[in-house]
Amino acid sequence: MRFNEKELVSLSRQPSEMAAELGMRGPKKGDVVKKRLVKLVVNFLFYFRTDEEEPIGALLLEQCRVEREDSQSFSIAFLDEAERKYLFECDSEEQCGEWVDSIVKASYEFMRKNLIFYRTEIHRLTGKDPLEQYGISDETRFQVNNGLQLTPRDTCSL
Amino acid sequence: MKLNERSVAHYATCDSPPDKTGFLFKKGERNTAYHRRWFVLKGNMLFYFEERESREPIGVIVLEGCTVELCESAEEFAFAVKFDCAKARVYKMASDNQAGMESWVKALSRASFDYMRLVVKELERQLEEIQEAAGGDCVGAGGLQGRSKPSRRHQVSRSRSGASSSSSSSSTSSLSSSSGAPPMAVNYSAQRSIQDEVQLMSDCPKENGVAWSKPAVSLANGFAEEASSCAAWEACSDSGSNSGPGARAPPVPRRRRGASLESPVSPGTGCFSKLHDWYGKEVEEVRVQWLQSK
Repeated sequence: MRFNEKELVSLSRQPSEMAAELGMRGPKKGDVVKKRLVKLVVNFLFYFRTDEEEPIGALLLEQCRVEREDSQSFSIAFLDEAERKYLFECDSEEQCGEWVDSIVKASYEFMRKNLIFYRTEIHRLTGKDPLEQYGISDETRFQVNNGLQLTPRDTCSL
Repeated sequence: MKLNERSVAHYATCDSPPDKTGFLFKKGERNTAYHRRWFVLKGNMLFYFEERESREPIGVIVLEGCTVELCESAEEFAFAVKFDCAKARVYKMASDNQAGMESWVKALSRASFDYMRLVVKELERQLEEIQEAAGGDCVGAGGLQGRSKPSRRHQVSRSRSGASSSSSSSSTSSLSSSSGAPPMAVNYSAQRSIQDEVQLMSDCPKENGVAWSKPAVSLANGFAEEASSCAAWEACSDSGSNSGPGARAPPVPRRRRGASLESPVSPGTGCFSKLHDWYGKEVEEVRVQWLQSK
């Protein structure tokens, strides 16, 4: 599958939510823990060899499960291949907790759920739709009943 | 650079609802002909398939940091997705009618994670305002059930003054960010904790010199985190102008440098550790300014 690699590499250089040197082990049998600079930018987790400019790789953090493995390490697995886990070793329990927290919240889908919650709650409390004043209340991405998706149309106009 | 492609492709076709779908013509990279493709927009990822029924995408365009422009082109109803990085490719696409073009341009220009975050923060701020107002006036609380009150206000003020310490004491050991569970159920069960413990974007130089290092907006969906400031209350001073008539973009909260709605600005340092140091210097300067202004 093609992807815009240059732009993704450029994204890896943007200011990040969290960045630290962690031990990282890939999901394949025989993979060992290696020291990596791990950087969280929007919904991507980039990992670099220390002091290298270009990341070795990126993980899109949608449809994934983050789990605490033990007091200082956590894993990320993707729902389509749940047995394959990426393992990350932190320096402390606290650091581990912060990473788990941040990664869970780093998905677009997570934010969307929060937005829907806030929108619904504000509407419940005030009777007004908070998105209306910004002219974005009809955007598909903000719909409360997202499960009842608009049927895809070829030239769907919002 | 590696990418977890299989899982990314799975995201394209899994049952999480897309933000927009439809046919568009896409200009090839080397072959300059336009090819009709089926597009699926999910979050900040724009997938394209050979056919509507194809089971796997041919490719994906990560939209973070892009700008979308109408373009002059022999092709009618054409627009371009552009990026602000060196030697970036320009993705030219065309719809087959005006409405389609406009609606895609609108959808793509609001597809970034940053934009979503902005809107969430704005609503978070609004909800807080509403709750504070309600807390101060139990009688005329309108639609509120009689729940507001001392405990909530207390907790709001606690989060206001607290130094930020992220405690994961209430987080469960297995956390899923999958969209398997019905979203509303997840959110409502954690409703109280979300309202009671809100962490705000700690990006306010006036209050906390090292704010930049804290995680950005986190919404406590079961997590207990204390806020260390400020951006919301800063924004509150603007809130008077929010009630003006007419549509307006949400107020832009103070941002981390380099993260903008339209395109990220790279400070020009490729090496991460240098960038990290540069950030540290910035923080120092800000802290000095703040101390001097006291």
